Amino acid sequence: MVSLLKLAKITEQGVEFQSPHDNESTMLLTPEHSMSLQNSIGADIIMQLDDVVSSLTTGKRVEEAMYRSIRWLDRCINAHQKSDSQNLFAIIQGGLDINLRKKCVEEMILRDTPGYAIGGLSGGEEKDIFWRVVTLCTDLLPKNKPIYCMGIGYTEDLVVCSALGVDMYDCVFPTRTARFGNALTPKGSLNLKSVKFSKDFQPIEKDCDCVACKSYTRSYIHLQATKETVGCHLITLHNVAYQLRLMRNIRQAIIEDRFPLFVKQTFKDLFGNEEKYPVWAINALKSVNIDLLS
Amino acid sequence: MSGFSFNLLKITDPSRFRLGQLIFSRNKQEKILDTPNCFVYTMRGSVPHLTPDNLQTIPVDSLGITLEHFLEAQPPASTHFMGGIHKFLNLEDYLLFFDVRDSGKLQHISFNTDKYVSVVTNQGCRKVTVEEYVRYMNAYNPDIFASIADLITDKNPSLKRVKKSVDRTLNWLDETLEQIKEGIHVFGVVTGHDKHEERMRSAQETANRNVAGFVLNGFDLDITSKERLDLMKISLNHLPKNKPRVAYGLGAPEYVLLGIFEGIDIFDTSYPSEQTSLGHALTFLLLENGIKNEQEKFIDLWDNKYRTDFRPILNGCKCYACQNHTRAYIFHLLAAHEMLATVLLMSHNLFHYLQFFKDIRKSINNNTFTNTAMQFIRASNITDE
Repeated sequence: MVSLLKLAKITEQGVEFQSPHDNESTMLLTPEHSMSLQNSIGADIIMQLDDVVSSLTTGKRVEEAMYRSIRWLDRCINAHQKSDSQNLFAIIQGGLDINLRKKCVEEMILRDTPGYAIGGLSGGEEKDIFWRVVTLCTDLLPKNKPIYCMGIGYTEDLVVCSALGVDMYDCVFPTRTARFGNALTPKGSLNLKSVKFSKDFQPIEKDCDCVACKSYTRSYIHLQATKETVGCHLITLHNVAYQLRLMRNIRQAIIEDRFPLFVKQTFKDLFGNEEKYPVWAINALKSVNIDLLS
Repeated sequence: MSGFSFNLLKITDPSRFRLGQLIFSRNKQEKILDTPNCFVYTMRGSVPHLTPDNLQTIPVDSLGITLEHFLEAQPPASTHFMGGIHKFLNLEDYLLFFDVRDSGKLQHISFNTDKYVSVVTNQGCRKVTVEEYVRYMNAYNPDIFASIADLITDKNPSLKRVKKSVDRTLNWLDETLEQIKEGIHVFGVVTGHDKHEERMRSAQETANRNVAGFVLNGFDLDITSKERLDLMKISLNHLPKNKPRVAYGLGAPEYVLLGIFEGIDIFDTSYPSEQTSLGHALTFLLLENGIKNEQEKFIDLWDNKYRTDFRPILNGCKCYACQNHTRAYIFHLLAAHEMLATVLLMSHNLFHYLQFFKDIRKSINNNTFTNTAMQFIRASNITDE
């Protein structure tokens, strides 16, 4: 519900929000109604309706939202009609408050859902606090259930959170930035709208096997970027391939017992210079014995 | 480099419609374009909304490419690419037809001289000389291109101005034929604006040149399709039967049929793209055997009545959209402003439009074209739009 918060009015009953399409009709989304809709749609993994606040919010509202999310989790569990075929994930709330988060995890573990999401982050909070909340959750959550950190998508965030024990992610970033003409590569983002690519006849990323890199040059994509929808689609296809390859590489490095080296190399490729490494990432990785600074 | 020939498989007398084949050989492979047919419209070298995986689901043979879309930098950056335009655009399996200007729209042209034409780009006006144009074509290596024409967009130009445009266009054609590499085929543009004598003169003189075919450009005039076709007829009367004729500006199905009756072989039009951008899905059918043609020409998928219509756009259509999705889904995508709406609509509309041409060719082959087409035209209620 984070992205629609601006349009929402929250009560114990549920979330009342304006339709983002017509600015007139309102809809009341209750935990029960949310489950009914998700049961109809039939997704394999479904999420509880949570009372989520912006990570920049402070004070009593954060605590209220955390306790309400637990009560709404219970209502979702009761209303869920297809628990043998659809997996309901709880969403841990509590803002940036360590104690609230601990309490939320304790309570939600008792409900024994198929998986747990870490919600309420990725909203512009300080990264050095963000990672501490993530690692607190991964420390306390059961090791035999998937942990899904919502709204995470930059390369460095994916690598660091994976090091901290997160299993799953979702993010609009790669496809949205693609539509604006930006292609993701291990060496950083290329703004393909820039005139410097007009005569660049290399592919976006060497050795990438997506259709944009196999069949087109940066010059061609520069011609399309932000002017033709084909430009959006080609860069999207590349960025999705990039993300999936990144996650595949993370998994492979873990399987082959070389994950710390992989992390170091990834940061080196991405930032170039150790001086440019973000401090929060250095701190976070240090907490799991990966020393970014050689 | 390619060899080129045009065969007439069937020609009718006294009617003038024909069944033909453009045969190209490129890279030791022979490619055939059956006519009547169309050049699929592109913007900046891509079919609107369709990445190659989606384009491949549609039986497209040939595409029309427009130089003005590449001219923000002069010379275009792509002329520096070593592999030619087919490879640059990832269109190596297709026949490419090049022109300076966008055949899809009426563009008010500012200023042409004896030496250059003005071309409008996103970054402003560009001047293109014959020498530059030919140089770009030599670098690009398309299969066919239209030579530069002096098109007038002033309303009511004087006869003197029109004569000058016919002369310039012919001079430029001669220069082009001298300078172009062997293996790249030139179509001469037949002009003359709305002056009958000049249209006749332009046609006869262009026919005297060693061109591979003719282009009847309709978009220099801000007139109805019917008026456009009437002017084209004058030129067509003076063109040899044994070379292909391409017409711009005739895209709606009834005008395609009328154009074919007058002896046009290929239509260069953005009709399917335009309809897509309006949210329209094409549903017109060329029906034989006197079946009463009562279907709508298109459906407007913005209309609320499709909200729970779970049928495909057109029953029996083999395009990706009709095989996998419903009217209701496309309605939802349009309402949610999702790009997938235009991907699905473009896939269907292009597939459908090409199927229409297939049906036309089949009908000509079966000797049922005259009746079938006239029935369609009558049902279309042509007015002066």
